[in-house]
Amino acid sequence: MNDLSKPKVKIESVVGDHKSVVQELNGLTVVVVAPLDDQIAFLVRELQRLRIRARQTWPMPETIPGDADVVYCEYASDLARRLPWIPGDARSALVVILPNGDPIQVEALAHATPDAVLSRPFSGNAVVASLVLARSQFRYEQRLRTKIERLDENLRSMRTVERAKAILMTTRRMAENEAYSFIRRQAMDRRVSTSVVAAAIVDSFELLGYDQQH
Amino acid sequence: MLSSSRKTLAPWRIGVLFSRTGFMSVIEETQYHGTMFAIEEINAAGGINGRELIPVIYDPGSEAMAFGHFAKRLMIEDNVSTIFGCYTSSSRKAVLPVVERLNGLLWYPTLYEGFEASPNVIYTGAAPNQNSLALCRFLMRTYGNRFYFIGSDYIYPRESNRVMREILKENGGSVVGERYLNIRARRQDFLPIVNEIRRLQPDVIFSTVVGDGTVFLYQAYTESGLDPRTMPIASLTTTEAEIRAMGFDVGEGHITAAPYFEGVAGDANAAFVAKFKKRFGDDCSTNMCVESSYFQLHLFAKALEHANTLDTDVLRAMVLGATFDAPQGQVTVDPLSGHTDLWTRIGRADRRGQFEILDQSVSPVHPDPFLIGYGRAMAGVES
Repeated sequence: MNDLSKPKVKIESVVGDHKSVVQELNGLTVVVVAPLDDQIAFLVRELQRLRIRARQTWPMPETIPGDADVVYCEYASDLARRLPWIPGDARSALVVILPNGDPIQVEALAHATPDAVLSRPFSGNAVVASLVLARSQFRYEQRLRTKIERLDENLRSMRTVERAKAILMTTRRMAENEAYSFIRRQAMDRRVSTSVVAAAIVDSFELLGYDQQH
Repeated sequence: MLSSSRKTLAPWRIGVLFSRTGFMSVIEETQYHGTMFAIEEINAAGGINGRELIPVIYDPGSEAMAFGHFAKRLMIEDNVSTIFGCYTSSSRKAVLPVVERLNGLLWYPTLYEGFEASPNVIYTGAAPNQNSLALCRFLMRTYGNRFYFIGSDYIYPRESNRVMREILKENGGSVVGERYLNIRARRQDFLPIVNEIRRLQPDVIFSTVVGDGTVFLYQAYTESGLDPRTMPIASLTTTEAEIRAMGFDVGEGHITAAPYFEGVAGDANAAFVAKFKKRFGDDCSTNMCVESSYFQLHLFAKALEHANTLDTDVLRAMVLGATFDAPQGQVTVDPLSGHTDLWTRIGRADRRGQFEILDQSVSPVHPDPFLIGYGRAMAGVES
């Protein structure tokens, strides 16, 4: 175990005008759900070396804590059930710690939808790799979800923007791109979304009672 | 009934999620019946490739969050990948992340507001272009163009009204009032609404109230002495089930647009209705939700027979483009959107709690969930 206590891995990171990958890990909170043996002690030390606030807990609670940035959790066949979120709506990045030797049920692992795995016995390289990958996968998935939500909303508001544009083109004799820039400029000045401005234009047009058929 | 050879084959297990308790149970119970009715029929005919269909059933009790949790349980504990369920859009949106993340397949037998096409959902209820459009035109032609919107306060009514408002305005109509009530609204909450309606005198009341509130709204309307012949309540969600719950006399004269009513003509529907009543009792009516829950199970069975696996990727490929002679007429799953070609019908409730069909499409209407093909002429201001 001596080789574990003295980490041989020196974490290299290129620092430019943005935070390095390791700097981004700085200050993250991690929950380690595993029995405190030599291996887990090593994991916690490695995490702390990366300036991460790590806490360990065992036995495995009925509901895994959901308040940390990353959860390291011992594999269990009912792990998915114990996670505090529904699949597709995870609130923390998840790293599953795989047992050394005992076979796992791959279905159970897939159902837990981990962002990375960490196999026993650990090495310094494996720990930092699992953390970086889990964070990166988790945050990428979150960005994609946000992007889809915005696309959905844009898709809905597109029709209102089109209507507002048509109204401006007719009543103000604007060209198409002129009408669109007008809506966008108004939105920026008022610090609201283009769809809010578009909806206001459509509403006021109707309030003013223009003849729809003219 | 089970032959000995069939017993040796493991059954197909599927998930069923409809509320049989809580404020949505009036309509979701009928979807549950439609689903179970089809499962019984399929099993009585020998199952699928000799294997019985076994439903794993949970009652989410009208709580949207519970739908998400039960979907999780179905997929990770019961190892079920195909789920039939959901009425409200909130419950569908609760199940969506689960089936999308674990690659399951949700069969959704309910009309909804559109603007969605998940690769993990088969939509067998109407999209707005399959009901709102025709309803709006019919109402304007028959009653006038001043509409009052009343809805339950959740995703579907607000989104559906956004679409309805657009259609209405593009055809020269106007919205004279718009109110949303909590989905758990009580009887007395509807009185101020009806008073406002009396004051504003719209030509049509367009309701997207769902659940128990439907009954309260129509009853409050009747008690205030308003006349459905000149100012009907028009709805996309009030079916034979809600009419029965409010009383036939209360429902009489009001308008609903739907792909299916019990009164649809034809032998296929006559046989379906007779069999359904034999199973659930003579006073049990079919409705659009029973029918879609029923035919989607048969679409599923047909696809499963060819796929011979519940693996979502294989099964879904077999479902897309599939056709079935449903009680409403022929229906086809659109390969692009995963929505279904459905019939458009306008019905008026009579004093027996049935809908007299006043108007219907000449053929199934292609689903256009994103309303891409509709309303290119913007706001009428270009003409």
